[in-house]
Amino acid sequence: MKKRGRGIGLSFYGTGYGNGFPDVSNAWVRLLKDGKIGVYVGGAEVGQGAMTAFVQIAAEALGVPHDRVLLEIEDTLTTPDSGTAAATRQTYNTGNAIKIACENFKEKLKEVAKDILNLNSTAALEVKDGEVYLEIFPQKRVSLEKIADFLGGNILEAEGSFTAQTTKLDPETGQGAPYWPYTFSACGVELEVDTITGQVDILKAVLVQDVGRAVNPHLVEGQMDGGYAMALGYALFEDLNLKRGVMGNRKFSKYLIPTSMDVTELTKIIVEDPESTAPYGAKGIGEPVMIPVTPAILNAIYDATGVRITELPITPEKLAKAFSDFEKEG
Amino acid sequence: MKREFKVVGKNIHRVDAFKKVTGRAIYPEDIFMENMAYGKTLRSTIAHGYVSLDTREAEKIDGVLGIFTYKDVPNNRYGVVYKDQEVFVSKKVKRVGDPLAFVVAENEKLCDLALEKIKVYYEEIEGVFDPVEAMEEDAPKVHGKSNILYHFKIRKGDVEEGFRRSHVIVENTYKTHMVDHAFLQPEAGIGYIDEEGRVAVIVSTQYPHYDMEEIASTLNIPIDQVRVINAYVGGAFGGREDISLQIHLALAAKVLKRPVKTIYSREESFLAHSKRHAMVMRYKTGADKEGNLLAMETVIIGDTGAYASWGENVMRKAGVHATGPYYIPNVKVDSYAVYTNNPFAGAVRGFGATQVPVAYEQQMDALAVKLGMDPVTIRMKNIFKVGSETATGQILTEGVPLEECLSKLVEAMGYPYGKEAYR
Amino acid sequence: MINIKLNVNGKDYSLEIEEDKRLIDVLREDLRFTGVKEGCSEGECGACSVIMDGRIVNSCLVMAVQANGSSIVTVEGLVKDGELDPVQRAFIEKGATQCGYCTPGFIMAARAFLNRAKDPTREEIREAISGNLCRCTGYNKIVDAIEEAYRYEKGI
Repeated sequence: MKKRGRGIGLSFYGTGYGNGFPDVSNAWVRLLKDGKIGVYVGGAEVGQGAMTAFVQIAAEALGVPHDRVLLEIEDTLTTPDSGTAAATRQTYNTGNAIKIACENFKEKLKEVAKDILNLNSTAALEVKDGEVYLEIFPQKRVSLEKIADFLGGNILEAEGSFTAQTTKLDPETGQGAPYWPYTFSACGVELEVDTITGQVDILKAVLVQDVGRAVNPHLVEGQMDGGYAMALGYALFEDLNLKRGVMGNRKFSKYLIPTSMDVTELTKIIVEDPESTAPYGAKGIGEPVMIPVTPAILNAIYDATGVRITELPITPEKLAKAFSDFEKEG
Repeated sequence: MKREFKVVGKNIHRVDAFKKVTGRAIYPEDIFMENMAYGKTLRSTIAHGYVSLDTREAEKIDGVLGIFTYKDVPNNRYGVVYKDQEVFVSKKVKRVGDPLAFVVAENEKLCDLALEKIKVYYEEIEGVFDPVEAMEEDAPKVHGKSNILYHFKIRKGDVEEGFRRSHVIVENTYKTHMVDHAFLQPEAGIGYIDEEGRVAVIVSTQYPHYDMEEIASTLNIPIDQVRVINAYVGGAFGGREDISLQIHLALAAKVLKRPVKTIYSREESFLAHSKRHAMVMRYKTGADKEGNLLAMETVIIGDTGAYASWGENVMRKAGVHATGPYYIPNVKVDSYAVYTNNPFAGAVRGFGATQVPVAYEQQMDALAVKLGMDPVTIRMKNIFKVGSETATGQILTEGVPLEECLSKLVEAMGYPYGKEAYR
Repeated sequence: MINIKLNVNGKDYSLEIEEDKRLIDVLREDLRFTGVKEGCSEGECGACSVIMDGRIVNSCLVMAVQANGSSIVTVEGLVKDGELDPVQRAFIEKGATQCGYCTPGFIMAARAFLNRAKDPTREEIREAISGNLCRCTGYNKIVDAIEEAYRYEKGI
């Protein structure tokens, strides 16, 4: 028999290493010969879109189009330590470091511009659209290319460093402020359970994600789609078949991850509530997007069948058996 | 205040998209160097026991350049938090897949031949595969004297009093399983000596500067003599936080003074990296007649497998997030990271905060059923808002739009609000 | 060793290869078309997908000798005179690539599908790419991109 149900799940996620561990990101910013700007960080691009977010944050801070920013993240020889690309911390931590480095860099640009423009102060100088100019007398202006020319071989660079706030938790009571910021998520699903086969079909899914501010909404949506799919696999079929330390399933023909046929369309809703300690308000979302999905599925299965599944994964065999036991018990 | 941004908030194309759609994004396995040798790893096939190797026959094979074991590593220990992992097992195997040796040869076929010719002698001992059993006094020990790596506690208010005052109480035990990141690109890398004599490793990693530190520390060389180059990374999700092949490649390149390349098969990839912690979560949650949460008590046991990796941090994060995004005045949490002889568990997307909602969100629905209340209403009553205090006493001073998230969800799902929301 | 002839991305090659080499090995190692990716070595993930004589194949399951005499297109061969293929353009436009490892395989599967498709539905697109695994995108933006590529080609 086919039964339909709906369920929701809410979750929160604290960003960062936590527990008072120094959570530091560093960034360097440098004026390049052609007036473009080099940004150097050790934060890894693992597919989440960190490079793009870094470039957007830097371009915003420097007041230049994004294609004037050249980002380098690959080599430990030429980049500073920006911490791990984990704990949903790169946009927040390294984003902050980049923003700080860019602001420091702008002050240095103003110093050079002051000399070029024969001013006696950097006050009222503004860096915008690839130029440094005097706000109160805009004819006084110089482009970044000109500044680079003027400097010749001399390197103009600035550093930025950001350390997230986290306190050590009391070992007896667990009291403290381990993570910051927290990011919130909500998921709802409507599904159909075949009570004979135990097959679960998702009919409708909605994921709502607090992002602080979306640096790039398309990238946020991509994360939401991916987190949803990963949670679907976690809830419904991924299984290592672990027996006495041996993984029975360690190939893709046995360890089943969701395919395009398993993943349904997902309605994605981005909620913006800018975070004051974050770069332009942007919180990280890489992990949070996955978290509320599995409980929403579990709650929907209960709503459909009256059976509470307390053990993952919810394989068809497990669900069919649970339902038949439930029917027998009345 | 609404500020206009010029770049932030815009859907610019990914800066790496062009390379990725044209096949020009270079992952480590795509790099071929002059005079490059290949390396393969010998791994344990048992979960717990003593091991010794005889590599003499394998070394005689023409074209085999070197077979590296623990004897070749100046400082054999590493790990993200605790240095409890060995570059190569010196005595005791603790899981299936522990690296025993690294074979380098002129080509991959010769590597395979050499792996076959290495004689591996095991003396198996009893293992422990269930984290609850592993906590018992007389369980086989994976490391040292106790399998309990970490115990995290929250003590807030008085849970006994909270349960006494509760109108409804729900108790359940939830279990989650180990899973794999299953990123699409299996681990690969190249070790070589760079133009200035540094030991360089090209790899796909989540944290190049950490890899650099571990290479310097295990090979006992100054950190400025090490260089890590992060090529394109084919997905990670936490699975590239621990060391996999970085040290093996650095060691081989340093000794042989030749580029050495390794590509893991999918099956080896499963053996090489961490897993998501399986958890047993015993939950007791109480609420008053109106659905206000009064108390929650939980014991969460996490299987961290054979090595600590991020186990302590994962189980702390699980503990801190154990209440869900709800204000509860009385909370008692005990979460444990426990060693077993299973695959080692570490960072996976959500890092402990992904497992606990399997429990806390089902508890919320179960309470709602008992109270004859709908799941939206009970959540609305208890969710974090600006100014809420978490179970660790942290004040959420800003950025708590959960009510908005839930409202938008209800609207998009087309739920009737209130009593009729659920049958 | 055995001699085989291949046309890859419009160019003829004559190669001396070991008999047990797979097509993927020849493409990656001998010819350095490293856009062809290996994710599972058992035909499950589709990262190694190439178009062989007009059909999509997993190059990890094809022995090089079996490919003797055939024409192969890899992701590198889709760029014509510096112009991206509509599928590639749409993948950029719609944000259909994340870590990028599965991307060449998806693009080839989409190309082969669109060569024959007529007013494809999203469901048909999902089916066409069901032999390819992606762990990052949850597939939705890939489906968006393939729809978009179809529109580019039909000028709609």
